[in-house]
Order: sequence, then structure tokens, then C-alpha cells
Amino acid sequence: MVTKAVKSSLALRNWEKLRRNKLAMIGFCIVAFMILCAVCAPLLTPYSPTDIDLGSRIKPPSLSHPLGTDKLGRDVLSRLLYGARVSILIGLSGALGGAVIGTIIGCISGYFGGWFDKVMLRVSEIFMTFPQIILVLILVVYFGQGLMNLIFIFSISGWPGTYRLVRGKFFSLREENYVEACRAYGIGELSIMFRHILPNTFSPVIVTVTLSTAGYILAESGLSFLGLGVPSGIPTWGNIINSAKAIDVISNNPWLWLPPGLAISLFVLGVNFFGDGLRDVLDPNQ
Amino acid sequence: MLKYFTFRFLSIIPMLFVVTIIIFIGLQLTPGDPLTYLIPPELLASANFDLASYKKAMGLDAPLYVQFFRWFSGMLQGKLGYSLVDGTSIATMLGHRLPATLELAAAALIISSVLGIVLGLISSVRQNSAADYGNTVIGIIGISIPEFFLGIIAIQIFSIKLGWLPVGGRLDYGESGFLSLLKHVAMPALVLGFSLTAALMRYTRGTMLDVLGKDYVKTARSKGLPEWKVIVKHAFRNALMPVILLLCFRLPMLIGGTVIIESVFGWPGMGGMLLNAVSAKDYPVVMIATMLTAFMVLLASFLVDLLTALLDPRVRFD
Repeated sequence: MVTKAVKSSLALRNWEKLRRNKLAMIGFCIVAFMILCAVCAPLLTPYSPTDIDLGSRIKPPSLSHPLGTDKLGRDVLSRLLYGARVSILIGLSGALGGAVIGTIIGCISGYFGGWFDKVMLRVSEIFMTFPQIILVLILVVYFGQGLMNLIFIFSISGWPGTYRLVRGKFFSLREENYVEACRAYGIGELSIMFRHILPNTFSPVIVTVTLSTAGYILAESGLSFLGLGVPSGIPTWGNIINSAKAIDVISNNPWLWLPPGLAISLFVLGVNFFGDGLRDVLDPNQ
Repeated sequence: MLKYFTFRFLSIIPMLFVVTIIIFIGLQLTPGDPLTYLIPPELLASANFDLASYKKAMGLDAPLYVQFFRWFSGMLQGKLGYSLVDGTSIATMLGHRLPATLELAAAALIISSVLGIVLGLISSVRQNSAADYGNTVIGIIGISIPEFFLGIIAIQIFSIKLGWLPVGGRLDYGESGFLSLLKHVAMPALVLGFSLTAALMRYTRGTMLDVLGKDYVKTARSKGLPEWKVIVKHAFRNALMPVILLLCFRLPMLIGGTVIIESVFGWPGMGGMLLNAVSAKDYPVVMIATMLTAFMVLLASFLVDLLTALLDPRVRFD
């Protein structure tokens, strides 16, 4: 009961601090607003994002289609709104997946040290030598394109960052007195690792997840732009821009690439602002 | 000093070796047997065809590590294998593509490190001025905008509306000379280096502000040294180290970014080759191109290391 009260007051205090950070709040509002729009997509547009209407192809913005239509007559606004769902989902799940893998390996590596630690450190170094987009491209060749595949690929190519963070934290935390106290009480190693030390590493991990969500949304849009991300049937922000590879589309049909580009930039901007603010509050040493 | 550099250079060799092993394993994992690409299917299906003897003749029955060393020593002699799609030698393909990518990446690296550090310096010296706010806005855009979107906007403005720069490509047919090369590389390099410029600028500003508040800077000022000398010789030299570390950390992103930028601007480099190979599932080309990008990253970070050692007197050469 008492610990719960303390916990909520800590969260409350952090929230208060975050609220005073103007940029973080702007970021939070942008992100919240865009997520809300994505969730309420059916209320905001009458069109389905995948309905093909060959009668009205490449129409500029008008009253019935506020952002115009694409080369198959699909409504760009509804593709933008439904695409936001997929893009945000991929970004967030990829970041979470990478963080979970990185945290688990980082815990074991940082707590026990030894040969496992040495090997994993080398492995993470090698992962970091390959540019992430190249890693993703290789994995796309071997696993194929697809929504789940992309999330999986992002997760296994993105763990080294979190791994190094958690490992470093564990190295300093495992020498703390409270860990000694836990041992003296006869608490098991696993319990010390995951229940007593791990929660102390959450703050920087949360910040990393936030910031890498932004990175993965950019990565998804880049891959889909190249035609190697999410299969083209599913609307995502990157898939909408994909049509803008042709010069005539760039010069004549700006409504096909400007709105999704702005949506990606705005969302990533919001996430970055929020993440920076979160870092100031949760992890002031960095 | 030479000893130090040799040691640093030798220490990246194990990494290079591990990378080649990974690439070899990747090639082994490719679906299908290499022989099935070489032998006509009707011959392969016929009853009296002896696959095992063929394998023996090609050396494919040897244990994996023997195959690896054969492959590896072949590679040292420049035998990089052949494309599955049209049978061209990968070495020939690279001969055409690699210089273009190196040119683009080097241009982007030079532009963004000079621009990023200079703008960051201006921001830190004139804190809260109009220039500082302008730089902050550039920095914010730089970390949020997708590279290809920036590229599309740049094409729309500078090539289509204003007509100043070519839409894409490396050199137009029948063109030569440094100036036209510069005209073609300027926009892709700027776009590719934009996010790095922004990151370096933010970081330079941060570390400079940090250093400018230190006591020894006050001491230097109170000695009556001219302000530029304080900034350049005392503050900047110390602020540069973390900036170079960031540069090193971001290099893979820059080199990876060439894939997208080359596609936006129709730059005839390795990125386009890699993309074609990925769509065609041309495994050998994908793996060799990947290996080269990893080499490029390792080599570039080695060069950055050298630069650090030359600039920082605290790095000992023995």
C-alpha cells in the first residue's frame, strides 16, 4: 500500500516535470493527435484505403477527395489515415522487440560477465558494423517481404543499442549494496537480476524505445519507398510515397507525395521532441 | 606513431575476417544448390546423370572449412563470384559501381562534417542569436525528415522549378570535367549528409557550450588572448573529440543511406546494384555488396581513428 503511494507520486512528479517541458508537450500533443486520427480513421473518411476506383484516377484535391486520389483512384486521405496505423504499429513493435531482446541479453551479459559477455559484445560490434538498412535488405532476401517479417527484422537488427545500455547499467549496479543485501537474504540469482536490478535500467530503455520508434518509422518508409518494405497492397506512409519515384509524379502530382512525407516528418518530429523531454526527466545524466 | 597506426590497422583485420565468415555462411544458406543454376534441368533430371561426380569435380564435396578457404583465397585474388541473374562477374560490376558510391559518400561526409561543425561553432559562439535559432530549426528538420522525402523536395525545387541542377545521374552523355561532376554530385551529397550535418551541428553546439563554461577558458580570456584564439585553440580543440566520436558512430548510417539516395537521384552506384539484386534474389551479389559496405564502414572508422590520434595529444603513440 505504502510502496504503491510512493510509486504513483514518483510517476506523478515525473509527469509534472515533463509537463513543464514545452517542447516535450508539443511533441506529445502532435503524437497523441496523430494516433487519435489514425484510430478514428473510419469516422474521418468515408472511403476505404484499398477501394480501387478507376473512374477517378490521379484527381487533384477536391471537396469529395480532400487530398486527391492516386493512380488507381484510391483516396489519398484515407490511405494516409489507415497507413498511419500500420506505420506506427511497425515502428513501435520493432522498437519494443529490439528493446526486449537487447534487455534480456544485456541482463545476462552484464550480470554474469564471463565468456558470454565477451562473445555477445563482439556480436553486437559486428551488428553495428553493418548499416542497418543493409542488414534489413539481407534479411528481406532470406525471409521475404511482409508485415510480421519486417517487425521481426527490425527487432533482430536493432537490439545492440539497448544491449549495450543495459549491460553498462548492470556493470555498475551489480556492485551496489542492495544487491549484496539481496544475496545475503538468499534471494535467487534470477530474481536479483530481473526483479531487483532490471527495474533500475528501465528509464534509459524507455527513452531508447521512444527514440528508436521514430527511427523505425523512418526506416519503414524508406524501405517501402524502395519497394522492399511492407507489401504494396497494405497502405503505409512509405507505400503511399512509393509512387513518387517517377519524375512526372514529382513535378505534376505533389498531392501524392507531399502529405505522406509531411505526416512522417511531423510524427517523427513529435516523437523526437517527446523522447528528448523524457530523457531530460528520466535520465538526466545522459 | 607509425607503430600505433599499424597496430590500429591490424586490429581491424579480425573484424574483416569475421565479416567474411558471416558472408560465407550467408551464401551457404542460400536456397538451392549452386549446381542447379549451372546444369540444364533436363540433364539434371535424366536417369544416368551422376550428380556426385559433378560435385567432386567442382570441389563441392569438400568439407565446409576447405570450401571457405578456397573461396577466401579466390577472393583475395579478386575472384568475387558471378551474378545468378546474368552471369556477369561481380568484380566487373563493382568496378563500375563502387567508385560512384565512394564518390557520393565521401562528398557527403566532407560536406556534412565541415558544414555541421562550422554551423555548430557559430551557434555556440552566438548563442540565442538569429543564426542560432535558424540552425536549431535546421537541426530539427534534419533529424525528422526522411532522406528520400528531402530528396524529392530538392528535386522539385532546384531541378524542376528553378532548373539549376540536373534531376539525377552522375554525368550526362558526352559530358566530362570537374564542374559538371560537381553539379551532379552536389544535391545528392547534400541530401545524404543532411541528417548527419544536423546531428553534428547539435552536438558541436552542445559540447562547445559545455567547454566554453570551463575554468581554463576563463583563464585564457583573462590572460587577454584574442577571443578567436580562445575559441579555436582552447575551446574547439577540446570540444572536437566527442564530435568525432559521434561522426564515427554515425558512419554506418551515412553509408547505408546511399542505397536510398542513389535510388532517388538515379545515381549509378552500389545501392542500385544491391536493390536490383535484392529484388531478383541474386544472393551472391547481395552478399558481396554487403561485405563491401561493412569494409567501407570499418575502413572509414579507422580513418576517423587516425584523425582522432592526430588531433588529440592525449592519445599515446606507443
